[in-house]
Amino acid sequence: MKISTGSANLPAGALFAFALGLLPLQSVAVEAGAAAPEVAALRLGAISETVNLSAFRGQVVYVDFWASWCTPCRISMPALDVLYRKYGARGLVVIGVNKDAAAADAERFLKRTPVSFTLVQDAHDAAAQAFDVKAMPSGYLVDRRGIVRSVHRGFTSETATQIEHEIDELLKEPA
Amino acid sequence: MRFAASLAAALALLTGCTTVEPYQRAYLARPDMGFEPPVGIAKALDKTYPAKEASSGVGSVGGGGCGCN
Repeated sequence: MKISTGSANLPAGALFAFALGLLPLQSVAVEAGAAAPEVAALRLGAISETVNLSAFRGQVVYVDFWASWCTPCRISMPALDVLYRKYGARGLVVIGVNKDAAAADAERFLKRTPVSFTLVQDAHDAAAQAFDVKAMPSGYLVDRRGIVRSVHRGFTSETATQIEHEIDELLKEPA
Repeated sequence: MRFAASLAAALALLTGCTTVEPYQRAYLARPDMGFEPPVGIAKALDKTYPAKEASSGVGSVGGGGCGCN
């Protein structure tokens, strides 16, 4: 029996299957200390108005991934709205990236939980893949220089207190 | 050996498995993706299944056979 050696003799199908298995390993989750990925997303409900994350350089940005099917988001969304109303004037920007499959679900959620900060859609998962979101909700606090300073996965009432403290500290930093 | 590798590749591809990322769970949150159907639909299924299978007393809902009661 002839034993084939070397990758040249491997069936293409096996290589393809192997590469397919490696795909999820390639993306690297954004953690504190990393530069915030470049994200351009359509405003929720809009068909052409784009929101660029880099446009908020110089401001403190909280990027939050949320959805109507995400139970902790029922706490996180009103909490973030309170923070935005309180610190917006000092330079805080909150961007809520919606992860609903149907826009109607997001609308229904927002009717019950209205928020005043910027909301964007992410139909083709580009933003979620750029951040490699590992939980819902996931929040990324970006400083004035565009560096992610803290990541919050999941949300409790303690998270809100902690985020508020972090936002207050980051707003004190010079641009 | 080549056959085994091809078989492994075929098995890996034919299962059609995919990874559902945490942010894609909207698809799993659909009502029709539940382990059990919604209460109303479950009751209707309980009634029509024995009727369709011409068996009485299978489900918890009374009646059976023709499915007309």
